Amino acid sequence: MRPEKTIYESAIERGVSRRDFLKVCTALAATLGLDYSQSGKVVQAMETNKRIPVIWLQLMDCTGCSESFIRSSHPRTENVLFDMISLEYHELLSAAAGHQIEENRERIMEQYKGEYILVVEGNVTDDEFLTVAGHSALESLKETAKHAKAVLAYGSCSAFGGLAAAKPNPTNAKAVSDVVRGVPIINVPGCPPIAEVMTGVIAHVITFGRLPELDRQGRPKAFYKLRIHDKCNRRAYFDAGLFVESFDDEGAKVGYCLYKVGCAGPTTYNACAEMRWNGGVSYPIQSGNPCIGCSEKNFWDEGPFFTRRAKIPGTQTTINPEKVGLYATGATAAGIAGHAALTAMKKKKDEKANSEKNSSQEG
Amino acid sequence: MAVPVNEKRNVSQSEDQLEKVYVWQLPVRIFHWIAAFSILILIITGLYIATPFFSPTVHTDATSNEMGWVRNVHIFTAFIFTLNFIFRIYWFFAGNQYSRSKPFTKEFWLGTLETIKYYLLMKNKKKHYIGHNPLAELSYWIFFVIGSIIAIFTGFFLLFEPQPHTWLAAQFAWVPYIFGGDSFGVRSLHNLVTWSFVIFSIVHIYMAFRDDWLSKNGAISSMFTGYKIEKKQEDKDDN
Ligand code: SF4
Repeated sequence: MRPEKTIYESAIERGVSRRDFLKVCTALAATLGLDYSQSGKVVQAMETNKRIPVIWLQLMDCTGCSESFIRSSHPRTENVLFDMISLEYHELLSAAAGHQIEENRERIMEQYKGEYILVVEGNVTDDEFLTVAGHSALESLKETAKHAKAVLAYGSCSAFGGLAAAKPNPTNAKAVSDVVRGVPIINVPGCPPIAEVMTGVIAHVITFGRLPELDRQGRPKAFYKLRIHDKCNRRAYFDAGLFVESFDDEGAKVGYCLYKVGCAGPTTYNACAEMRWNGGVSYPIQSGNPCIGCSEKNFWDEGPFFTRRAKIPGTQTTINPEKVGLYATGATAAGIAGHAALTAMKKKKDEKANSEKNSSQEG
Repeated sequence: MAVPVNEKRNVSQSEDQLEKVYVWQLPVRIFHWIAAFSILILIITGLYIATPFFSPTVHTDATSNEMGWVRNVHIFTAFIFTLNFIFRIYWFFAGNQYSRSKPFTKEFWLGTLETIKYYLLMKNKKKHYIGHNPLAELSYWIFFVIGSIIAIFTGFFLLFEPQPHTWLAAQFAWVPYIFGGDSFGVRSLHNLVTWSFVIFSIVHIYMAFRDDWLSKNGAISSMFTGYKIEKKQEDKDDN
């Protein structure tokens, strides 16, 4: 399918009714966080904008992001794939393979210079660790990114380095932003990111022709503005002071807050609590598992996941602050006791020496 | 005002050789006790927020507001603590000589060294200080001043974290870049600083009692009355 047709045209061609098209646009507007009155804008954009060619590189990854992506429900993955974008290169989803698909990548890079979007899934490693179609991954990433309109770094790996970058990072895995310069990069972290967030970011770029508003870590504000903890469905239990103490207790059954079993919700920026997963069915905390903070930088080194920890600033070492604090307090108390005893002994000795001196003076 | 005169005082130091010196002005004393009590409350509530160590007895619905209440106490006390801290900065300049400290002098650091020797019960040339000795001042700089600055800024960042779009949150948006790196780092730092306050308080209280006991100068009561008891003429060595 060539990308010349507008999004509306290709949808109609596929037998989508105008009514359904409008519905999709409205849902999309909601996903993007727009006001209902703004859905006209989305409709207009979809009617006039052409489908955007997308090259999707899989570097050192687990394909989890692609798996998440194909489960999007608002907008539906089919709508995205067939109407909004023209997926020109994807190891998993493209029908073509081998030389054919590699040629296609090069053709798109030339024909749509500065117009195509590059999606990166997985992190970048040193040359010797990953070769795709005879090119080192690093090389093809740099080459493809050079003339892209924008790079979407899907997943914690491409956004921040990810699991492969965990200490001691044997393959020297890096984030996309560490090697790509001069092209706008949108970080969409998560392991994997929420499907609707992935499609939503693409939809935003198509609808408005520009990048969404990003925060300081390069993440779209619309989805990464708040912490899980701020919108968590168990938050009432947190405020009430009702906590799951272990995974098999009564509180776990009732659905108490998972704070004490290591929930990372209070420090994790993501949209899980409001968008949820699999078409809004549930998300980890709702299903009884504490948030592991998978969309945060370095989450892979800041475990363990099921106990509350504090990290020593400037390092990735986590400790149990209360345990360490209590030990330190104990050591301090012991030190004080010892010091007090020595002081008392010394005082006695000095007093004795003094009185002896005095008595010898008097005598 | 009750100035304790210890009967067991060495006979060679007769009463007329001693005098009352006004050391801690009223604002300093008020500051001290507000800080002391707010630190106590902040430590207890803070540790509860970090690791909730008790729960409502009625385990039913989320109808109680225990964590919410503890957090409110913590936040309210934090505001008092912060205002008190700001006031102390003002009094650093406005108060008498004992409310000041000059850490950028050679004398300060030499004095610190001698005081450390003194506390290690070694031979030393520690001078007699009517206010704080330099080691004590150093501990206040590190544990109280720097500790408070960290606690205050990380604390306000955490307080406004759920409202990133507000003006107040914007004022503290820089905090992670200096303290802790990310949200988790800021939180961890805030948690760890709590323990430095715990340890500081214990040592501080011990030192105060020890000083009172050794030099019979009324160090403890001075924080209520403002007066310390000192020998009349300049003294070189109190060890
Ligand atoms: S389960 Fe986690 S995110 Fe939810 S309220 Fe408890 S600590 Fe916060």
